Amino acid sequence: MILVVLEHDTQRLRKGALEAISRARQLSALGPVSGLVIGENTQMVAQEAAQYLPVVYAAEVGGYTAEKWAEAAYAAAQKSGARVVIATGGRQSRTWTPRLAYKMKAGLMEDTLETSTDGSSVGGTRYSFLNRVTERQRAALPVVLTAKPNTTPLAEPHGSGTVESLRVDAPAGVEVLERVLEQKKGVSLTEATVVVTGGRGLGSPEAFAGVEELARALGAAVGATRAAVDAGWRPYGEQVGQTGKTVQPSLYIALAVSGAVQHQSGMNKSKYIVAVNKDAEAPIFKIADYGIVGDVHQVLPALIEAVKKLKD
Amino acid sequence: MKFIAVIRQVPDGESRLKIAGGKVDLSGVTMILDQMDEWAVEEVIRLQEKHGGESVVVALGPERTEEAIRTALAMGADRAVHLVADDYLDPISQAEALAETLRAEAPTLVISGGQQADWDSQALGAATAEALGWPVVSWTTQIELEGQTHAKARHDLDEGAELVRVALPAVFTTQQGLNEPRYPTLPGIMKAKRKELKKLPLSISSRVEVLEQTIQERSRLNKMIDGKDPVAAASELVRLLHQEAKVI
Repeated sequence: MILVVLEHDTQRLRKGALEAISRARQLSALGPVSGLVIGENTQMVAQEAAQYLPVVYAAEVGGYTAEKWAEAAYAAAQKSGARVVIATGGRQSRTWTPRLAYKMKAGLMEDTLETSTDGSSVGGTRYSFLNRVTERQRAALPVVLTAKPNTTPLAEPHGSGTVESLRVDAPAGVEVLERVLEQKKGVSLTEATVVVTGGRGLGSPEAFAGVEELARALGAAVGATRAAVDAGWRPYGEQVGQTGKTVQPSLYIALAVSGAVQHQSGMNKSKYIVAVNKDAEAPIFKIADYGIVGDVHQVLPALIEAVKKLKD
Repeated sequence: MKFIAVIRQVPDGESRLKIAGGKVDLSGVTMILDQMDEWAVEEVIRLQEKHGGESVVVALGPERTEEAIRTALAMGADRAVHLVADDYLDPISQAEALAETLRAEAPTLVISGGQQADWDSQALGAATAEALGWPVVSWTTQIELEGQTHAKARHDLDEGAELVRVALPAVFTTQQGLNEPRYPTLPGIMKAKRKELKKLPLSISSRVEVLEQTIQERSRLNKMIDGKDPVAAASELVRLLHQEAKVI
């Protein structure tokens, strides 16, 4: 049996949930797949999930804490007899899945790119060493795994299932006093197919207006380096790199970004990388497909014009 | 009060990795105290400076980890416990190994790095919390004690951040912004040599097996365009992205 914990925004399933369902179906040699929706408004979201899965559990536990999520997933895994639990990779899921894995005495595979099974164990590939090494892992059942976003085709609806409420005694310990959600402007960074990132070399927060304009023209998300975030020019939510977000778009444009290893670990798997920097020795050029050595304040306006001309 | 930082030694991100016999070969690679663990060490020292008590480092890893432990002691931690394990251990097994030592130490709180720079795992803090039956706060940017029983903490979520009150003892994992780690001073380094370091051998096997590691660097086109004429360079770049790469 396999359990998929489905990410949602309290209204709809997120894209990551449909990827996780696909992952579960790929492991169907291990038995049928059931789903679990945790949080708020779970009945409604579970109805949507039932278009994909024969049984969907709904655990109405309120707002997120790692303890509640792990407890709900453990209850659903026990009820369904699941030996494999799959969730979408993210900061929150990579906090509650270790708790769950410990409860289940399971092997944990984090942020897997793909997964397979021989019937008694699960194999997976993932990145390690700051995204520089690809490794193959294997663990005997039970296994808890997270699937890295944007690695798996989205599942198609399949039959119609039933929704079952799941009672969970939520553990105390963490009390949320205040939650500040990121302002969502434009395209989300981790889901974007094009990302335009600005670095400290832009010289001022005002210069990011050009980065935003280029991003708009390309339908891209805006990213920032740690130096630009530390300087207070951009919000932390835009940071790409080791302590920020990891992105893997088709096109990554780095403007006045020197390309420290910590930054590279958040973007080095992009399909095409473009760098604009006045320093021809900047490390970013070593991993760039296309590079312009020049002054970003002159190149960026020209680039915006050229993109707009193309789009017309 | 007692504050514990859990640390590991990892390759310096700037150093070049190589593969030998299907595994990462770390011989000749510069090894450092994991930068995300460095925030944990700094934070336990600050807590101890502010509230008194003891700051302790608990390390997990092979013999060579002692260098990273000495760094943490030179920064100002009072003493260290080193769980000596040579090979890869999955985070659940790591937590199991750590839990025994941590339970015996009975600290006020435990802090560990948000992500390990070698195994790219974010799981150790949360798994350790589960092993101890404690709450966890991950990606923490601020910790403030409220007496002996609670702490207020700010931490990052997938999208946004939150302020929580958490019952102690608890486990926290670090995030950029938590603090600015101090450099070890020369007197600090001298003193560190005499500080207590207890070694405990571990015999625990990993639940997850690493079968093979490879370095797959994408081959890049490395096409350089002269930026002296910005307009010409920009239009050439857009042409290449549209016609050659076909990504716009």
